[in-house]
Formats: sequence, structure tokens, C-alpha cells
Amino acid sequence: MVAGEAPADAIERWFAQRTWRPFAFQREVWSAYLGGESGLVHAATGTGKTYAAWMGPVLEWLRDYPRETTTRRAHAAPLRVLWLTPLRALAADTVDALRRPVEELGLPWSVESRTGDTPAPVRARQRERLPTALVTTPESLALLLTREDASTLFDDLACVVVDEWHELMASKRGVQTELCLARLRRFQPALRTWGLSATLGNIESARDALVGVDAARRPNPARLIRGLVPKGLAVDSLIPETMDRFPWSGQIGLTLVPEVVRAIDEGGSTLVFTNTRATAEIWFQALTGSGAAWADRIGLHHGSLDRAERERVEEGLRSGALRCVVCTSSLDLGVDFTPVDRVLQVGSPKAIGRLIQRAGRSGHQPGALSRVTCVPTHALELVDVAAARAALERGAIEARNPLERPLALLAQHAVTIALGGGFQPGELLAEVRTTWAYRDLPDDEWQWVLDFISRGGEALRAYPEYSRAVPDEEGIFRVPNRMIAMRHRMSIGSIVSEPALTVRYLRGRKSIGSVEENFLARLRPGDRFIFAGKALEFVRIRDLTAWVRKAASAEGAVPKWSGLRMPLSAELAAAVREKLDEARRGVFLMPEMEAVRPVLELQGSWSLIPAADELLIERVRTREGHHLFVYPVEGRLVHEGMAALFAYRIAQLGPISFTLAANDYGFELLSAERARLDEALEAGLLSAEHLVHDIPASLNAAEMARRQFREVARVAGLVFQGYPGTGRSPKQLQASSGLIFDVFARHDPENLLLAQAAREVLERQLERSRLVAALTRMSAGKLSIVEVERPTPLAFPLIVDRAREQLTSEKLSDRVRRMTAPLERAATAPPVPRFANLRAARRERRP
Amino acid sequence: MSDLEVDLAGESVRLLPERAIYWPKERTLIVADLHWGKAAAFRAGGIPIPRGTTAAGLARLDRALARTGAQRVALLGDLLHARAWRGAETMRTIAAWRDTARALDLVLVRGNHDRRAGDPPLELGITVLDGPVRVGPFALRHEPRVEIGAYVLAGHIHPGITVRGPGRERLRLPCFAFGARVGILPAFGEFTGTALTEPAPDDRIYVIAGDDVLQVDVARSGA
Repeated sequence: MVAGEAPADAIERWFAQRTWRPFAFQREVWSAYLGGESGLVHAATGTGKTYAAWMGPVLEWLRDYPRETTTRRAHAAPLRVLWLTPLRALAADTVDALRRPVEELGLPWSVESRTGDTPAPVRARQRERLPTALVTTPESLALLLTREDASTLFDDLACVVVDEWHELMASKRGVQTELCLARLRRFQPALRTWGLSATLGNIESARDALVGVDAARRPNPARLIRGLVPKGLAVDSLIPETMDRFPWSGQIGLTLVPEVVRAIDEGGSTLVFTNTRATAEIWFQALTGSGAAWADRIGLHHGSLDRAERERVEEGLRSGALRCVVCTSSLDLGVDFTPVDRVLQVGSPKAIGRLIQRAGRSGHQPGALSRVTCVPTHALELVDVAAARAALERGAIEARNPLERPLALLAQHAVTIALGGGFQPGELLAEVRTTWAYRDLPDDEWQWVLDFISRGGEALRAYPEYSRAVPDEEGIFRVPNRMIAMRHRMSIGSIVSEPALTVRYLRGRKSIGSVEENFLARLRPGDRFIFAGKALEFVRIRDLTAWVRKAASAEGAVPKWSGLRMPLSAELAAAVREKLDEARRGVFLMPEMEAVRPVLELQGSWSLIPAADELLIERVRTREGHHLFVYPVEGRLVHEGMAALFAYRIAQLGPISFTLAANDYGFELLSAERARLDEALEAGLLSAEHLVHDIPASLNAAEMARRQFREVARVAGLVFQGYPGTGRSPKQLQASSGLIFDVFARHDPENLLLAQAAREVLERQLERSRLVAALTRMSAGKLSIVEVERPTPLAFPLIVDRAREQLTSEKLSDRVRRMTAPLERAATAPPVPRFANLRAARRERRP
Repeated sequence: MSDLEVDLAGESVRLLPERAIYWPKERTLIVADLHWGKAAAFRAGGIPIPRGTTAAGLARLDRALARTGAQRVALLGDLLHARAWRGAETMRTIAAWRDTARALDLVLVRGNHDRRAGDPPLELGITVLDGPVRVGPFALRHEPRVEIGAYVLAGHIHPGITVRGPGRERLRLPCFAFGARVGILPAFGEFTGTALTEPAPDDRIYVIAGDDVLQVDVARSGA
């Protein structure tokens, strides 16, 4: 800073040096910050949110301490700003961005990150003295709170910035952030909290959850500042020239490779977004082998690749060395990201907000439109794209709902605080109730949390030999032994991940990335697989590492990574129903609808296209058994719950077993016997009554609560996953969450952890309110049951889906006898039809 | 409850849905992998697992004893889960059970967990041996390793199998897995999982399906 210069002028000058000018919204944030306020800034990625939040604290320092400068870390100011980021991959970029003005303005500040990736010497140095600004994740912040001296670490803390709050707020990580913020506010009542978020349908809730509530449970006052209003957004698609060869199902969509190559030819730098890591790998292979002039300048970017490799690809995009990068949501977020000329989206966009986010990676020139080109992977995705465009034009955007009081997480937090200096229950309860998530926490649930950590359950059901935190003579809860303390520190957080192994070259030991154990366990030495865009030969697993060497030919399996498949959002599903209704009336307005027209007309002639207020049920018999297809078009999550409910209600009429499949358009019940549908309808299959009983019962019957228990068990510290690559807990203390669930269900069915698993499935996974609304809509509307001769275009994607739930009312031994009876061999699924094969059928049916 | 009578190395034995083999000629019940005190070990490590698993296992053992009238129980290893099992309550449960069945002859063939956890207290009156123990045509041991001149009965694996049916039904069940020279019992303990086994074409697989034991066709099941 130039001597005697006013702080605001220094900032203006710093912007001017980069030929920038502060935006009005940035100035608004700075002055609100200087006025002591908190708030939430929402705008698209890459529009200056980072400096909107960062320059407030910088200005304040320049104002209060105009003369101080130092270049030595040891003399830097103590911790003043905490910067929380959802991805540790973003921490390094964030540190760079924050350091730039600090260094150029000569502030005596140190800016560092602290995440699971931070090397041990840096961590040790930070243990002695934290930097002035610390970039970290919610989990690493919670770890800081376990330190005995936690209360003194934050003596000079003035501000917490929560970056990409929309990514955190609707998850347990968001609740963990809320709890940590409540703790920090207790240490520093004047603490200012600023969130940065993409635009959401419920942006006020996002703000309220971030800043918490007062003693009267009213949201604390905070500003809501809108960043740059998005420039225009154009959505188009690559439309297959003919639908004859275009498949009816599938998630890869390689049919359109030539069109994609042409699209990349036209533009300059291009990002190709896919919905899964496996799809990204496959597309990378396809484009590399396409013979395009730029085929040797393609990069691959996803979350399982080694960090160095990801950074190399990001740098390649920045420098222009790479023409095209195939990526997943790993490039959805990120500061300082180079805009590209063109964005492609392979597969359904699934949500409007996500489409906007991805499109925002393109067209950063002033006045330029953001543009995203969708690449459908099967016929019905053309409808999704048309629906997304219609929804965008209406200005629809999704909401993300903050979670309500997950108790296992509160138990984890209580142990954290017991370690971090201990707590007096009444005081901690008051503090916890200042968070949005626990503002209505009833006394009995709080008591349960205390019982759970001290005795395992209520007094009468106490678990012998167990305790995690117990009150001392003064009533302060503390952790009784070091073993439990260590285990707790290693299991903080709520991210459930499949065990994965690092993949390394045998020669040179270079790390390539990580692949799930499930996939690697199936490989035999010498087997080939494709990973990180490379053909690899599997050698062996040793020392928690999969050792590989380069393979000569690019053939082999592509690993799959588990992870939530994103469902169609409620907003987009509603738009799809409208598009289908138009098609039913013979209205095909957009190019995508025009293209998919023959497929939908076939649907209409074999069965029918459901109207917006109509529920279509199709029945068909194949070699696999009797299929029931139901199409509410409400998104996959709602359908999963509804499939379990339908199966449960039908199974009440008599012994029967179903396998269930669900996608964004509908669901399928498959059984060996023909289901008694008419009888079930008469008995209230669609009824919105008795749901309070029927929904939980159906979830239990379909073992969905058992699966959700995995996350509950991980957060409650029942299963231990350790840090990736560092091994696990001692062998004697290993059990799967499924096994623990069974033991709880049998020996302590009242345990609240089970209830929580069920509640989480209902509210979060299945979105109960949507489920009930959909049932109400369906029971009031028209019902059409069609017996079809063969699976229709709507049915096809379901029939080939092999990931299935099961629900049965048969006696176990009867079921095993039937399943193993030497009838005809289980048929394999029929091949995916392409239009050409069906022409004959269509001709036959036309008058 | 229905048992299944099968021929094993020339001997007629009954497979019990309680997850045990009964050998009438020797009036012996054979079980593997009880893992007594496993839940207690978890609790001592700060992981809350409900009480009652060891007691429920003992109740099932009583039921099998009552139905068969067995006078001896051969325990094929991993009777005790860990050293921390000596939690007072689990210990009392087991001692009380032993008092109700004093006449019963208990023989333990040591397994990997037993070697770490130590032998059970003397007052439980359990004869402890290192495997293999030869009885008739059988060699009893914990780890399923081939023995010359005998048919091995073992545990250790906690075998389970996925049964598949039409319409893509799948069901994972604990099982007895009898090969040409080695037969593996399902884990008896309540708080034990299963590991999927890949049966050879000639193996005989019997699943525990609720109250029944049923043979399944190896060609239609597997991992």
C-alpha cells in the first residue's frame, strides 16, 4: 500500500492493475462487512464472489493497522479469517487467489490451507501457530475443535467465509458446518459469517441456515446480496440424424461421437461434462481414438485421478495446451477457472441449476452468451433437454433443503466438544439450538444424545463396558481414554466412501489415482483395465495399493465408482410431464421433441403417452416373469419409495416376491407370479391414507433403511473407515453396517439410530413430501392400465436396469425353494432395441 | 424346524437350521465360530453394540441340544472373539448357561481368535485342543485345510452364498459348503457376517433358509 493512501483507494488501485473494476455488488459486500454484518452472496461461478468476500477483511485490516508489514510467517498476524471450502481439491487454488492481494498490498498476513492433504511438517507448524487466513474443510475445522486449547485458537477470529455453501447446505457436512459455526460464535460473539452460493430456489433458507438463529429461534439478521445477474443462456442439443440407430436406453451414448467431434471442431476450447466417472473414461477413450486433429490434446479430469494429474490438466486448459477436457462434476466448482469456448453435457442434465452452473464455464467475454450443448445418450433424454429449456425460460430453479437435526451427527459433535475442552450439557444445548438444523431440538432428543455417548442408550438399556464421553465430578463431559479420542479424531465427518486403493505403476511407483476395492477384487493378475485414460495391466494388490503396468492394447473393463446417481429434480420432472402431455396432443415444438417424435408415437401406438394428470400402468409378460411398469414421472428418488410402497401393498394380499427398478420416468415391479393389481387397486394401492404406517413398513421390507444405516453408522462411529489408504481399525472391531443394523434390529429395536436411518430415507432420500404429493396427484387423476405385447419405449430403460431392490411376503424357505426350482433357466435381458428393428412392427400396426 | 439328513464321508449326519451339524452316532453337535463376547469387545472399544447377542446364541445352542439330545459339543474354533471379551456381564451369562448344562461335554479346537484371546476360563470346563482332532472319518479343525486320510470339518470362513432366481431375484444366505475333502460350517455366532464363497462345480451347498436347511444347485448360485 502506498503511504497515506486510503484503504478503499488501495483496493481500487489493486483492481485497476489487473484492468478490473470492482462490481457494485462487491462494494456492497465490503461495506456491509465493515459495518459488522454477515450475509450470503449468490451468483454464478466465476463472477467475482471470492474477492467480494475476501476484500472486506483486507480493507478492515488496512483501516485498522495501516502501518504494519512483515514478510516472516512467524510474525504474521494470528488467525483472523477462516475460509471453508467443500472440496480439498479447491483449497490450493483458493490459497493462490487469496494470497495475491495480500502480497501485493503488503499485508503482514500468512495464507495457508489445512486439509487431509496437508503434509505433516506443515500441520506441525500450524499446530504451533495458525496462519492469518486458513483455508480448510468442515471436517478439518471440526478436528481443530477437538484440541484441548480450542477456545484460545480463535481469539482473533473476525470472519468465516463459507465457499460454495450450496454444495454443503443440504448435506450432513452442511450441518457439521452449522455446528462448528455455532461453536466459533460462542468463542467470538461478534464473528461475521459470509456465505458464497450459486443461486437457488430457496436462497433465504440458505442464508438462514448459514447464520443460525437467536434465543427466540428467529433467524439472525444477515444480508442477501445478489451478484452479477447471469448473462443469457442458450441450451441446444446434438440431435441424431436419424432415430433408426439411436438406442432407447443406456448411459454412455457413444452413438453420437461423430457429432461431438464435429461440435468440438467448430468451437475452440471445449469442456465435455459427463454424469459419472466411468462415462468420462469411456468418452475420453472414444475421443482420443476419433482421429480428430486435436485427438492428442484431450485431457481427462475426475475426482479419482491423482491430484498431480488433475492439476496438469487444469494447467493445460489454462495455457491452451489442451483443446478439450472430458470431466465430471470435479470441474463444476473451482475458483479462478479459465472459461472455455464451448460446453457439452453428455447425458441428461438432471437439474436446471446444474445446467446453469456447467454452462457458466463458457462464454466469459463481455456480453457473450453462455451456451451448453446437450448430448443425449438415449431417446428419452431428448425430452429431458427440451424440458430443461422450457423450465429455464420460465425461470425455474431448484431449491436445496437444509437437513433437520440428524442426531448421530450431533452425537459426533458432542464428543468433539468433549475432547475440545469438555462441555456442560445445558450450555452446549443452548449453543446447538442456535443452529438452523437443531433450532427445534426437543429436550428428550438431546437427552438421548447424552445417553448415547455416555451409556449407549437410555439408563435401563445401558450397554455394559461402553462409554465415549462421561461427566466428571463437576458435570463436565470429557472423553475418558486416549484410544477413544484417537478413534474419534480419525472418524470425524459424514462422508461415506467405498474403500478404495491407490493405483500405482510397478515401475517408478508413480500414483495414477484411486479405484474402488470392489472392482479391483474381481481382477486377476494379467487382466487389463482402462483407468485415467490409460490401458493398464493389473499385477497385484499389496500394501493397500493396486500395482499395475502399462498394457499394450487399449482394451479392458472400465472401473465403476459408486456414488449417488443424480435424480431428475422436481422442477425438471414437472417440465418433462408437460412435454409428454404436449406430445400426447401431437404438439412437437422443439427440435429435440421433433427428433424423438417417432419414438413417442410408437409409445402412443403400442400403449399410450400419459397426460399430465394421468397415471399410466403397463403390464407385460416376458421370459423373465410378469412386469408392472408405472410412470408417475417424478424423478428416481420418489419412484424408489413408490416402488417399495406399491410392492409392499400388493404383497399384503398374499405371498409374492418382487424385484424393483426405478428411473426418472417411472418404476418396475417384476415378479414370477402375476401380481394381483386389480385387487390391490380396490384395496387402496394409490391411497394417500395409512402412509404413516405403510411407507416405513415398505422401506423396512425393501431393506432401504438398512442401506441408509450405513451412513448413520459411519457418522455415529459404529463403523470405522479410517483415512483413505491408511488401513482400517483393528480387525477385532470390524463389522459391516448391515450386520450392525441386524443386531440393533433384533436386540435393541427402539434405538434411535434405527429411527434416524428410517427418517433419513424418508425425508432426504425419498423426499416424503414429494412422495405424498405425487400419490395425492395420482389418486385424484386418471388411471390407465394397458396390457402391452412387448416392452414399450418408456419401459425399456427400466427393463435393462440390473440394479434392483427386492421386497417379499413369501416365507423365506418357500422363496428359496421356488427360486432354486429347476424351471427354465433365468433368461438374460433382451438386447436394447434400436429403431430399425422395430420398423416392421410399426408398419404392421399402422392402419 | 426341519433338519436335513445327508451323508458325509460315509457317516449319516443332520444339518440343523440352528447352524450346526448333529452326528447321531457320536451324539455330538458340531458348531463353528461362536465369537462369544464380540459385542462386548466392540463396546469396550467405544462402539455401542446392544447386549444380548451372546445370550441369543446360547439360546439357539440350547434349542439344538434339546432337539437332538446331544451329549457333546465340538466347537471348531473362534469361540472367543477377543481378549476384551472377559467383560463381566458376558462372562456371567456364559457361566450361568454352563451351570444349567454341567453334564455337557464341551471340546474346543483352537482357532485364530482363540490364540489371541486366550483359552476360556477353567471353571467353564471346556476341553481345549489344537487341531486337527481325528474322530471317525473326520478331522476337526478351525481353518479349512486338507488333511490326509480324513474328511475335514472346519469353520473360519463364515460361508455365505447368493441364490439367484428368475426375475433377477437374489438372496444372500449363510450356508454349509461341503467339498470333496473339506466341509465348512456356517458361523454360529449371532454377531457374525458371511463371506461369499465361490463353490466348485462338485461342491454340495446347503443354505440356512429360516427354519429350514435346503440344498441349492451350485450352477445357479455364486458370488
